[in-house]
Amino acid sequence: MKCAEMIETETPVIARRDAVRMPNGLLGFEQIKDYTLVTNPGEAPFAWLQVEDNSALAFVVIDPFVAAPDYQPDIPQADVEFLKLNHADDALLLGIVTILDGQPPTVNLKGPIVINRHTHTGKQVIIANAAAYSLKHPLPLAGAAD
Amino acid sequence: MLILSRKIGESIVIDGRIHVTVMRVEGETVKLGIAAPTEVPVHRKEVYEEIQRSNQQALTKQSTPLPRLAGALPKLKPAGAGEPKLVPALKK
Repeated sequence: MKCAEMIETETPVIARRDAVRMPNGLLGFEQIKDYTLVTNPGEAPFAWLQVEDNSALAFVVIDPFVAAPDYQPDIPQADVEFLKLNHADDALLLGIVTILDGQPPTVNLKGPIVINRHTHTGKQVIIANAAAYSLKHPLPLAGAAD
Repeated sequence: MLILSRKIGESIVIDGRIHVTVMRVEGETVKLGIAAPTEVPVHRKEVYEEIQRSNQQALTKQSTPLPRLAGALPKLKPAGAGEPKLVPALKK
């Protein structure tokens, strides 16, 4: 019994790496266009959007629908056309997480990154209903309720 | 800075492809219509600056320790848990 449990927990988990091209960069980082989305099951619900150069810089991202279950972003038509999205299923959304010392982490729900799953082209989109959502939506920390 | 006077309904053209038209003037509010190619991002400056600042705060080292979140959050699903609406509310 014990042995089987240990094997179970020691199963290696392999991070998934996907290249993402953002022709416009991110707001404030227009010059950085190439990223790698690193999804490691051990780090869920977070993933990393790593800058594709040697800077070792990255953004921590989270599925915004996980962070805010009622999230209903309206993606403007111009962005739908730019990303060549034919169906809502084509879009992968990532919320950028801000982690500052001594503060609870927050996620930006006004300007998610929208990625076309088929082309791996992405864009930071200011959603049409941005006024309804927070730029710093708090993420519940473990132990915060104690 | 170039300063131009325009009347309601009049436009300016930038780079032969971006058209900015004065639609309405109500007191201190001017409504502008902007027609630009889809690859040209157009934002209200304050929203743009807010998100720019947020991005700058969020940029971190790949070695940053991740916070531990309270139990109930499901895993990041490759297929996404919810679906965005592609057609903006304005179009309905």
